[in-house]
Amino acid sequence: MANKMPREIAPGVFWIGDCLAQRHKGKVYHGYNAAFLVAGTSASVLVETGHPKDFPVIERHLAELFARGVPPLKYLFVTHQETPHCGGLGRILTRFPETILCGDVSDYHLAFPQFEHRMRWMKEGDAINLGGRSLMAVEPVIRDLRTTWWGFDTGERVLFPGDGFAYSHYHQDGHCGLVAEEAVSLDLPDVSAVFADLALFWTKFANMEAYCDRLDQLIERLGVKTIAPTHGLPITDVKATVPKVKEGLKAAALVPESGTNEKASSLAAAPAV
Amino acid sequence: MSVLTQPAPRNARETSGFTGGIAALATGKLYALQNPFALDGRVSSYPASERGYSVANSYLLTQSDAAMLIDTGFGKDEPVIRAQIESLIAPGLPLSLFPLRLNEFMSINNVETFAGHFNVETCYTSNVDAALWFDFGAKANGRSVLESMKVTAVTRADTIQLGTKGRAIDVMQAPIRLIATRWLYDRATRTLFSSDMFTHVWRARAEGPWIVTDANDATSPRDLRSFLLNTRYWWLEGAPTDSIRRGIADVFDKCDVETIAPGYGCILHGRKVVARHVEMLDEIFKGLDKSVAVSRYVDRDEER
Repeated sequence: MANKMPREIAPGVFWIGDCLAQRHKGKVYHGYNAAFLVAGTSASVLVETGHPKDFPVIERHLAELFARGVPPLKYLFVTHQETPHCGGLGRILTRFPETILCGDVSDYHLAFPQFEHRMRWMKEGDAINLGGRSLMAVEPVIRDLRTTWWGFDTGERVLFPGDGFAYSHYHQDGHCGLVAEEAVSLDLPDVSAVFADLALFWTKFANMEAYCDRLDQLIERLGVKTIAPTHGLPITDVKATVPKVKEGLKAAALVPESGTNEKASSLAAAPAV
Repeated sequence: MSVLTQPAPRNARETSGFTGGIAALATGKLYALQNPFALDGRVSSYPASERGYSVANSYLLTQSDAAMLIDTGFGKDEPVIRAQIESLIAPGLPLSLFPLRLNEFMSINNVETFAGHFNVETCYTSNVDAALWFDFGAKANGRSVLESMKVTAVTRADTIQLGTKGRAIDVMQAPIRLIATRWLYDRATRTLFSSDMFTHVWRARAEGPWIVTDANDATSPRDLRSFLLNTRYWWLEGAPTDSIRRGIADVFDKCDVETIAPGYGCILHGRKVVARHVEMLDEIFKGLDKSVAVSRYVDRDEER
């Protein structure tokens, strides 16, 4: 049974969105294409738009939060241009006509030219002031498109790593809506490796030790307390959980890439790989 | 020629000196719909520092009783691409769609609109549940249009038959990719549709020309290497590239390629041009291999 969303994973940081079922090697995995609302005292920012299929869910969750008194949505920050992260931006900018799109805004003027005047470029270290806290663009250690930024909430020290910390969870075990530490039956190294195999082709070819070391440095430098990945369950115990995810990334790097090579009948719920 | 396939429009030019719009790569069989955009540091597929112009390519494969559109282009070009298709096929002709990258706007941005406008009989993807991946809100009824659109899942190694005469289009998993990507091979025109590979030629001017022939093939190995490392293949240096090289070589061994038709940038046309770029790519991969280079952390904005 899915747990109640929106879920406040840190004070003023709300997890919204829905799962995407995935089939891999005879097992069904669930992954997230999550969005997060970060509420300051004067404004809110939506981090990621959710998957295009999820807009009705995202819209309902946002309406619920604004009805509770969360400050208005003034900003949208998307980590990068893959549509599971940003595909809802046209609908968000239409639904919230005062909202400004921020980040590396490459390509969006080509996809949604009608909103070009509402796009603002951010460089590393640039921050959006929400009142009492800011959302800052930070180094995207694990990325695919070169135009990726990760987000960082300076108030509660929450990292929004986009494609970083991407792993599935077990729907049958009731993991939907849980944070990583609550999903006790989740084999984090295994599901991290599965996701890397399906969607992060390059991790099979790069020196993942170097990327994991850089990840540690970033987490240390920023003093990260919570990690809010787009595809994985949120991490609330960084010291205990991050090593398990890194173990999965390193293990996946050693296994030859397989991707989906299944026949159409078994592709029913497979992710795009 | 069938009554359902339109004669090539007057603005469909031969490949020589082509400057944008519709390029007839094989009259009555294959057309490139090329729409330019500026390289101004705001395009994810190109190095941030490069300036000039490139084109987003969609390809229309036509038979007397069916057509297929490979990639649907950016939203900014939707009215133009729609008109380009209308000028090439008769109203009501069954049209299939095949976006080669399920996660990128350049491939999928206009699926929703085209599904509502043309007689789309199916959309080929790697994921049978993909219809709502294309729901960008372009139309008020977009979701219902997409929900009623037939989606046909293809595997890594399939062959699609286009039209009743069964024009064979081979589907393959891209042997090198960043994200979900398929390549296609059209046996009838000996064209390889390479999505985000072989995308390394762009121009200083919006007028192009957008087709590279032996007469204007100026790309150097250094240009190609820099392009790869400064775009989506930033992770290649020090990688075990032998498996990638084998994968690409297999494609060119199996397919008799006269034209490489990338998802963006100049089309590579002619056997000599194709052979030169494939060899150049292989040499670069060889030079990037872990046996001679070191894999290290690469910063987001590092250009090489």
